[in-house]
Amino acid sequence: MFAKINWFGFAGGVTTIVMLAVSMVYPWWQLTVGDDLMTINASPVNTNFGFVGTAFTIPLIWALNVVALLTLVLSGVAMIIYSFMPNRSFSKPLLDFGYKKPLFTLLFFVIGLLVTTIILQAVLNFNLPLMGSTTNTLPIPFASGVTITVLLSAGFQWSFWLAAVAAGLCIAGRLYHKKVAVQKPTITITAKPQVEKPIPVTSK
Amino acid sequence: MDKIRLLLTVMTIAIVVVPIVGMVLSHQGNLLGLIVPPEINEVADDLMGGDGDNGPGLEPPTMVGEPQYDEATGTFSVSFQFTNRFPLDITIKSLTGNIECAEHRFLLGNASLSNPVSIDAGETGTLTVVGAWTEDARGHFEADHAGEEFIDVVLVDFAVDISGIQIQLDQSQIEQNMQVPNPAYEG
Repeated sequence: MFAKINWFGFAGGVTTIVMLAVSMVYPWWQLTVGDDLMTINASPVNTNFGFVGTAFTIPLIWALNVVALLTLVLSGVAMIIYSFMPNRSFSKPLLDFGYKKPLFTLLFFVIGLLVTTIILQAVLNFNLPLMGSTTNTLPIPFASGVTITVLLSAGFQWSFWLAAVAAGLCIAGRLYHKKVAVQKPTITITAKPQVEKPIPVTSK
Repeated sequence: MDKIRLLLTVMTIAIVVVPIVGMVLSHQGNLLGLIVPPEINEVADDLMGGDGDNGPGLEPPTMVGEPQYDEATGTFSVSFQFTNRFPLDITIKSLTGNIECAEHRFLLGNASLSNPVSIDAGETGTLTVVGAWTEDARGHFEADHAGEEFIDVVLVDFAVDISGIQIQLDQSQIEQNMQVPNPAYEG
């Protein structure tokens, strides 16, 4: 039934779905302030915050998480369907739709973090680490007459690297498509039908 | 093929638009709530002394028992009770400050927390602060407080480390009043 399968695409689709399930529980990037006094658990599909023991989400970010979740589910399913039928007429649109989403999600997530840290540094002179630990003094407008120094620890979690693997496999699936989607040569022969000539009857 | 592309495009638009529009519509009476969830206000109320569920907010520690003075080492210790009104367990890792005579604002010595103290959420813990007098302080006690068994002092310029957050207060900020035994008293 499935003469050719794009195994890279299949692996990419499955890894994307697995990555989504994992990301609901394990954040891609985590920031801890002090000893868990404040935490930020961020991923494109589930971002939540903790502040002095109270966990909460920001409704707008939650809606964006739902958008990313549904988009990536669709992307993973499209990659899996495509992988088993890479030569059908609908396969190329499925591949084009599916392979980019994990990569774009990963890029937007990293760019979003970078932009956030740059803005905090420029506007509030607050150094937010992307990876590792640092101590920071809170900006004066928030702590007039009081100096508050906080220990910040941040890092990308293993679910982030799983997302990178999923994105890599999807791109590999796109590259491998050229090998599996070879068109069978079709030869059309048009020949004029020959009309049999009647055998001449010869009389001796 | 074109139908598949069209279908995927329509699904993408629906996936993007429906959750965001739905969330905006559900907050149309309070658009600020899209960015600031109610939990933040509740936590702020708890911390700032509002009408949160956890009580009247942060309270300064209260002194308990009599201050102890050890003549051999020249140190004293004072115990305070502190109620953790945060909804999470905290550890007071360190506390340091200078001690001044409340009446003359004379620097007498310094004080620090004897041991880190962990206090569970909603529980009350005891902090023991130990201090040592300077040589000048002994002269001050003898000259200006010779007849007093206890002296009113204030803990100023103190710095506290609560679960990794270090708070340093200026002299104009909070001053913790307490009574300490007078080493020069011979009653």
